Amino acid sequence: MSSELDALLSATFHEAGYAHMIELVHQKDAPARRRLAALRVDAYDAGGRRLAVVELDPAQDILDLDALVGDAARAHGRLLVVFDARYDARIFPYRPHHYAYLQRRDAATAPLYYALNATLGGVPDRIGAVALNNFETYLFLDRPLTERYALALGNLSRFATAEAQVITYYDGARHTEDVRLPPKAHAEIALAAARDGARLRRVELKALFRLTSYVVGRRPQGGELVLFDHLFTYFK
Amino acid sequence: MSLEPAAALDPGLDGELLCYCTRLTFGELRAACAAKGWPPPGKERTGRLCTGCQGDLQHCLRLLGVRAPA
Repeated sequence: MSSELDALLSATFHEAGYAHMIELVHQKDAPARRRLAALRVDAYDAGGRRLAVVELDPAQDILDLDALVGDAARAHGRLLVVFDARYDARIFPYRPHHYAYLQRRDAATAPLYYALNATLGGVPDRIGAVALNNFETYLFLDRPLTERYALALGNLSRFATAEAQVITYYDGARHTEDVRLPPKAHAEIALAAARDGARLRRVELKALFRLTSYVVGRRPQGGELVLFDHLFTYFK
Repeated sequence: MSLEPAAALDPGLDGELLCYCTRLTFGELRAACAAKGWPPPGKERTGRLCTGCQGDLQHCLRLLGVRAPA
């Protein structure tokens, strides 16, 4: 792929049994008919082993992720799916956005919509942003939590093993879990809904460099996803 | 962060992007280090924007004999 174009490396997670559609460029308008210059999709198992590499037609609007990597997900479990997009900055002054629709095929609940995590290249140098985005946080609803919550984390590095901290807060009490992810490895880190009678209020993710991260919530029975969302950049 | 041991930076990576924010390639990093010119003009913020390549950047700088910034 050309290094003369701008670049964005986004990622999500895919597991078997879900309809998962990716809108490759969310920002479109009829006159411009914006499109990417190139797009490659890679998929990795939990240990970071690459299972699929697919060069896609960048003019494609909607990608059926389950059709693309569903067989690998059924054979190997949850996948880290990486989207390496190249684009012309004159067409996308900030950067393109990929958005997704996610719903279990036997779901009784509404589908989930989310923005793909823009892990590398999410802050193009030309826009001049300076805030750190490798510290992230998420606040939970102020009600008893009936779902099972977790952080889904992936390391998009080529060489570096990530050592991250997942810090949870329970009415002021702090709990820290260390996480180690080799390159391209990924994991779902369970967050206890309560500790010592105190409810989960907040989670923070701290790492030397930005990881692919989502907050996920699942039904206690069956594990159906009812939340799949990004964290918020931590400013202090 | 910890780094996997590696003998050298694979020249086969030279055309690929290390930093997606500044568009620095592995080859440009190698050339800048060889010329004792790291960071090259316009690439000073490599690793400091989205931060996602920071681990790989430190790894490569070490392989290329450049002391990584704190």
